[in-house]
Amino acid sequence: MQDRFTTALQANKEWAARTAQEYPDLFPSLANGQSPEILWIGCSDSRCPETVVLGLKPGDVFVHRNIANILHAGDLSSGAVIEYAVRHLRVNHIVLSGHTKCGGIAAALGNKQLGILDPWLLPLRQIREQNLPLLQTLSPEDATVKMAELNVREGVKLLKSKGVVLEAMQERGLQVHGLIYDVACGMLRDIDTKDSEDEIKRRLVAFKTEA
Amino acid sequence: MSSKETTPISKQLQQSYEQMFENNRAWAAAQSAKDPNYFKVLAEGQSPDYLFIGCSDSRIPAEQVTGLQPGEAFVHRNIANVICNTDLSAMSVINYAVRHLHVKRIIVFGHYGCGGVQAAMKPQDLGLLNPWLRNIRDVYRLHEDELNAISDATARYNRLVELNVVEQCRNVIKTAAIQQSYAANGFPVVSGWVFGLHNGLIKDLEIDFEATLKDVQKIYNLTS
Repeated sequence: MQDRFTTALQANKEWAARTAQEYPDLFPSLANGQSPEILWIGCSDSRCPETVVLGLKPGDVFVHRNIANILHAGDLSSGAVIEYAVRHLRVNHIVLSGHTKCGGIAAALGNKQLGILDPWLLPLRQIREQNLPLLQTLSPEDATVKMAELNVREGVKLLKSKGVVLEAMQERGLQVHGLIYDVACGMLRDIDTKDSEDEIKRRLVAFKTEA
Repeated sequence: MSSKETTPISKQLQQSYEQMFENNRAWAAAQSAKDPNYFKVLAEGQSPDYLFIGCSDSRIPAEQVTGLQPGEAFVHRNIANVICNTDLSAMSVINYAVRHLHVKRIIVFGHYGCGGVQAAMKPQDLGLLNPWLRNIRDVYRLHEDELNAISDATARYNRLVELNVVEQCRNVIKTAAIQQSYAANGFPVVSGWVFGLHNGLIKDLEIDFEATLKDVQKIYNLTS
């Protein structure tokens, strides 16, 4: 264990030296601040390292990762991240990404008591309940993928109900996207989360707030 | 799609979004070319040795800067790598990583130049961010004498970044999951790292895990 720990620290030294050589301007510019274009909200799963998967570099992606990329309306952790990224860093894209083979989703499709994880996973069980007939027609593997998609759709909906997000969408064209990352092939897939004119109107009436 | 989405700015944004997929396809193809079984192995499941708890800051992608490969590090990232005991998000991550994935080491990964730590010390109302950043003001209060004795503002701020990592490590150690797993298995241990933006290097704060655990358990013992 100590060896693997030392290896990671050694690998950091090599990475820093290599990066300084390949991109001589990178560290001086990083030391001056950040202006990422993307906020990524994804799963903590070790197989989904966002910046690597996106082929991007340090400074490109502001990141929040939690269990099963769930967005709870009252969660201060994700709330603070979204507030900071949209209002202060003025990102142009929010990308909410789910993934295949998600352990959190598998847990919510089962019925085992998990202690502190139960309240966290509750929104997934709500999705399960609302889509029970459909999910029951699917194989276990297809059901987890379907749940991952539905969870992303719910998350995108919640994002677009936050005042700070709505305001940035209207005033400067902030875009909110939903994705699924397939861990079996490494590819990202866009989920169409575009809204009809009617949905946009209803959303603004219900959620838009003024100072 | 609303008519607004066809303005030049939105077209440009759409292109930068599409670019992400191009980059991703290139990355996935390169991995498969190097090792045809790469994704097959990942699809079988994860058994990471590490849990990284880092800052959301775009400049510190934990996997890239440590050379850890997909599958090796479970990752939680929030504003200023704060571990608050009433935050269900972080508590769920720690619980899952320790009890279900059996990670061997937890690393709280802070960084110098942290905007969250800096914002926390301003005499300013930041709305929704206030309750979150309050955790960092508490770190300052715990180490007020040491921090106030540092006259140089940058040096004081750097030290607060380090002390924030140390305190968040203590908060991780206060959880039942860590204490019980360590008593039964001898892992995970908890480390604190700080990343330097100016040179890309990690500083290990060399936290004495055993001693900290013993100290924490004087009050926060949850082993039985």
